[in-house]
Amino acid sequence: MFKTVSLALVLSMAVPLLTGCWDRLELEERAVVLGVSIDVAGEEAEAEESEVSHVEGSLPLPDHAMVRVGVQIALPGRIPLGPGESGGGKGDSSQTVWVIDVVGHSIDDAFMNLQQQVSSKLFFGHLRVIVISEALARRGMDNVNDYFRRNAEVRRMAWMIVSKGKALDLMKAAPKLERVPTLYLMSTLDEGVKLGKFPEDYIGIYWSHSSKKGQEGFLPYVQMKKEQNVEVSGLAYFRSDKMVGATQPIEIAGYLGLKGINPAGYRSFINVANNSFVSAATQRRSSIKLEIRNGVPHFRIEVALEVNIEEKIKQEAHITPEVIRLIQQKQEKNSTLFYENMLKKTQEKGSDIFGFGERVRAKKPGYWNSEIKTKEAWQRMYKDVTFDIVVAVNVRRIGAKAL
Amino acid sequence: MRILKGYGKPKQKKAVAAPGQKLDAYENKPVSTRLDDTVDFIEMLFGGNSDLIIRHFRVFGEHPAVLAYFSNMADQITINVDILKPLMYKPSHLEGKPAEPPQLMEVLLNDALYNSEAVRETELAKLANGILRGGTVVAIEGSGEVLVIGTRKIEKRAIDQPATEQVIRGPREGLIEQLGTNIALIRYRLQSADLRIHSMEIGRRTNSKVAICFMEGITNPELVEEVKKRLSKIDIDAVMDSGYLEQFIEDNHISPFPQVQYTERPDKIVANLLEGRVAILVDGSPLALVVPTVFSQFYQTVEDYTERFLLMSAIRLARLIALVFSLVFPSIYVSIISFNPELIPTEFAVAVAGGRAGVPFPAVIEVLIIETSMEVLREATIRLPQQVGGALSIVGVLVVGQAAVAAGFASPITVVIIALTTIGSFATPAYNAALALRLLRFPLIVMAGVFGLYGVMIGLILIANHLLSLKSFGVPYLSPLVPGNFQGMKDLIVRGPLSWMTRRPSFLGPVDDRKLGEQTEKTLEGNLMDTAQENGKEG
Amino acid sequence: MEEKRQITAIQTAAIIVSTIIGVGVLPLPLFAVRAGDSAAPLVTLLGMLLAICGLALIAWLGMRFPNQSIIQYSEAIIGKIPAWLGSLLIIVFFAVLTSLAAREFGEVVVTSVLKRTPVEVTVIVMLLLAAISTRKNITTFAYLHHFYFPLLLFPGILIVFLSLKNADVINLQPAFTTGSPGIWAGVLTIAALFQGSFILTMVIPAMRRPERAMIASMGGLALAGGLYVAIVAAAVSVFGAEEIKKLLWPTLELAKATSLPANVLERLDAAFLAVWVTAVFTTLLSSHFLTVRATAHLFRMDDHKLFSFFLLPVVFVMAMLPQNIVQMYDIIEIVGRFGLSITILYPGLLLLISIFRKKRGDVS
Repeated sequence: MFKTVSLALVLSMAVPLLTGCWDRLELEERAVVLGVSIDVAGEEAEAEESEVSHVEGSLPLPDHAMVRVGVQIALPGRIPLGPGESGGGKGDSSQTVWVIDVVGHSIDDAFMNLQQQVSSKLFFGHLRVIVISEALARRGMDNVNDYFRRNAEVRRMAWMIVSKGKALDLMKAAPKLERVPTLYLMSTLDEGVKLGKFPEDYIGIYWSHSSKKGQEGFLPYVQMKKEQNVEVSGLAYFRSDKMVGATQPIEIAGYLGLKGINPAGYRSFINVANNSFVSAATQRRSSIKLEIRNGVPHFRIEVALEVNIEEKIKQEAHITPEVIRLIQQKQEKNSTLFYENMLKKTQEKGSDIFGFGERVRAKKPGYWNSEIKTKEAWQRMYKDVTFDIVVAVNVRRIGAKAL
Repeated sequence: MRILKGYGKPKQKKAVAAPGQKLDAYENKPVSTRLDDTVDFIEMLFGGNSDLIIRHFRVFGEHPAVLAYFSNMADQITINVDILKPLMYKPSHLEGKPAEPPQLMEVLLNDALYNSEAVRETELAKLANGILRGGTVVAIEGSGEVLVIGTRKIEKRAIDQPATEQVIRGPREGLIEQLGTNIALIRYRLQSADLRIHSMEIGRRTNSKVAICFMEGITNPELVEEVKKRLSKIDIDAVMDSGYLEQFIEDNHISPFPQVQYTERPDKIVANLLEGRVAILVDGSPLALVVPTVFSQFYQTVEDYTERFLLMSAIRLARLIALVFSLVFPSIYVSIISFNPELIPTEFAVAVAGGRAGVPFPAVIEVLIIETSMEVLREATIRLPQQVGGALSIVGVLVVGQAAVAAGFASPITVVIIALTTIGSFATPAYNAALALRLLRFPLIVMAGVFGLYGVMIGLILIANHLLSLKSFGVPYLSPLVPGNFQGMKDLIVRGPLSWMTRRPSFLGPVDDRKLGEQTEKTLEGNLMDTAQENGKEG
Repeated sequence: MEEKRQITAIQTAAIIVSTIIGVGVLPLPLFAVRAGDSAAPLVTLLGMLLAICGLALIAWLGMRFPNQSIIQYSEAIIGKIPAWLGSLLIIVFFAVLTSLAAREFGEVVVTSVLKRTPVEVTVIVMLLLAAISTRKNITTFAYLHHFYFPLLLFPGILIVFLSLKNADVINLQPAFTTGSPGIWAGVLTIAALFQGSFILTMVIPAMRRPERAMIASMGGLALAGGLYVAIVAAAVSVFGAEEIKKLLWPTLELAKATSLPANVLERLDAAFLAVWVTAVFTTLLSSHFLTVRATAHLFRMDDHKLFSFFLLPVVFVMAMLPQNIVQMYDIIEIVGRFGLSITILYPGLLLLISIFRKKRGDVS
């Protein structure tokens, strides 16, 4: 008897708990945000903003200028279920997503303004790409990083990219290859990683890198081309939270080579024996050795590349062991120079995207603790660091042609 | 009627001791020496029944006698040839021997009757019971005894393929309703002196025969005692099927999970007996009960052991997945759609949102509606005659499902999910376990609708905790998983080769736990060694 | 009702493991990194060693008094009144521990999954779940732990393995820090995460062979500790020490950063959290069971069922006391370190006195 009564009591306690469905929000009732773009807003922006999160002029506003946030929201129903029945081609991507932009004093403020204009709740669980305009990146990313790190919905596997020019344009672009434009942007980068054109650099990795004392973060630097397609045109490298420069696309290969990241995917021209050859790297290996010379860290970097010959411009000059040796020597020389230039460039800006400082911290903790200790100190120190670069190139294959 | 009235009142007062039956008034009363009294008694008791036959005749042409039986339950030919004829016609070897009523019965039994199932009875109640069971009663003027002769012959159906537990490889015989036939089916598979069959009668009015089978020297004696104790406590007026008994002897009456396994396969009963379990058979029921039962039995089939172990292990794995699917699939779907859409790939999420765009209900309600209609459909299919049932299921599944999607009433993915769930629940071999999981699916869906994945986990933990605290005849329900038993694990998720399973399940506490002979075990091990190292040493 | 002694050594180890692994794993790398930067795995290891010492004391005591729990034998060792005080402290401490664990998990759930559900609801659901299950006897209690134990180990190990892909050894170096002052505080905080293993004292009287308590508990603690070290190492090697300092629940973030091969599930955090419900459940089950049973022993009652719901409102109210999540973690650290004196010093004291006074329980 007592048992039944107590059971009934427990159940009656449990019932009120079951009556609320606080968090139930159907998938189709959510505004699934696939991409976000963040630009610096001009002077005129304040006038555009309605009083959503604050009464005008009532609060000490953040001192930095306003931002313009654009979002790409998936339109449920426009994207057909399953492998496109009635010819997937008809779905012009401008019809599958909805691009809206608002201004705000901070990222959250902008999203508040946006939420005021969109009926469904904004849902960031499927946010795949965040595009930052170069102007904003150069101004500082602290606000952006803080907002997205704090929001538990955002995945660490999303991409954050820096766009040359306006970021909003990338949101509005409608490439033909994918049904959903953002997914195209994402797959451009994901495939780049698989093809060895780009290092894995999800937002989480960028955050980790920029948090580290002896390393700086970098982001993909992209540019829109005329067919609304997107070109990865380098690495945007940072110093603390500010972008300080961008590399050339080929210099991504420099980064990948110095870090020994596989698979390798870049080609290079080699002029030997009155002929031009194109070699394609297949494997990269690098080893970095650290010693302290004259109170300054000195790095000896050995890079080993395995390449295949992919193209020959002129018919003469058969590929013989001698030619291959020449090619190897030439490419070794070219690469060494190339790497040195690249390092110099980052040293000038004090942006150690390679994480040499982390190596100092890890391998020479005594030196680190006495001489460097902070991120700022390393940023200064990095300019004085010296390098020795040794490149070894091995030609392995020459394709299906015998000569 | 008169007698019933007389006993109506005391019955209500002491409900246990006094079942209101006509016969109880004659408990321990002797048979009268006067034939007329006996005939009166029989007529009073069964007189209203048209199938009662009372045949007057003279034994050896001199002593008046009467023969009574129910015409449809007794074998008329036996009565005519083996009873009436030898009783009427004095055999030659009895010429000159004294055959007066006091000794007559003995003479008849010993020298005249051609029937092995004849006994002498002196009590009226036994006489009546004899007739009720289909026997024939012979009473003779002047004798205080009657002969009760077993002439029972009930029409029975042929031994058939077990309808609910069909196998591709394995015996094709199923139990039938008759207890005697069923015991014969077991005995011929288990020709052992250790097989014990205890019988008892349960049911105040039906007096159903219940047989308890076990292996002496294997089955734990405490278990047998416990089964007998629980069965003897049952006081119910009718036992129509073994399912009645199941509900009285199980440990937890509220639990949705069956704690007793039933089967209609004699080979399964024998296998269980040999593992150290106890089987309970009821006259009139083609389903035997097997106790104690652990959860793993519900997804095992006979076939698992007759086919090669590798294949059957894979199939058992598939069955387990189906089991889990049928329990959690809809609730996980609901929680992903309504709570955590970030878990599924972006392309798919966007597409699902498109599929659901026109549906007016939240996913929980949608799933609950479709699930409920699926249950209705399933019930309808069982009730309908076979010829119509097939058509209905096609109409139900294809037409209604398609129409529901077209009408914007359900999203196509929901229909897929429910269909998978339903199919999954059919893959569980034990109907009663599948039923339990089918039922538990609904609270899980509700939990998913309230708390999402978190709620599903809470629900699953509650179910698991319940399973873990459940016991069947003192054996933990999840044995041999918990409490862990390495030997038992070989037959839990995969079905190990028979050579691995050298012992009987230890959680049943068998007296003799060795299944495989030591010699065989050694040989099998030897074989493995040999194949491993080509030509090993001899012996 | 005399319960039979049915618990095996493996079940004891399982109880220890699943009790220890709980909500504490989620912020664990943060605690460890705060104390030792890249030497976080070392800090965790030290914390584990400290916890092992404490558990060894309890096991030793339990083997001296194989038929009694600490509540019962403390009376024989130091007399009634001091023992009563000690036992009361134990009960209060574990009630607080239960409430804090429930609150912590409630906060995690509300922050990352059920954003609009009141934290009271998630807390009370967990507490009810634990309380219902504490009404079972100790054998079923052991079964519960035994059943859930592989379910806890598996996701933990899975996360560690999946994150190996993104790991970078540089982040783990230098593995030995040059003695920063915070390190010992961190060791204490981490040792406090192992305090659930105190449940051993309730388990020993029900063990089939109490003499195996030592080996079982050491094995269990080593397994749980090994997983802790592995998770800390994985988190540090993936994120780097500096990034972890910016994350409230690095283990959860680790789950977010990994996806199953072939994108079956795109991110594992919600799924991980769902599976982690079982881990939190077993932890709450143990600490509530300990509280309830200790109370029953203190009042010399054989049946502890009465208290499991009776104490629940108290635990719930305590869980609601911290005002915000930052304050909650402060309280957790303080309570944890204070608790070490109850779970390590007190048994140590008892052991010393019992050796000194040559007290022993009767061996059955």
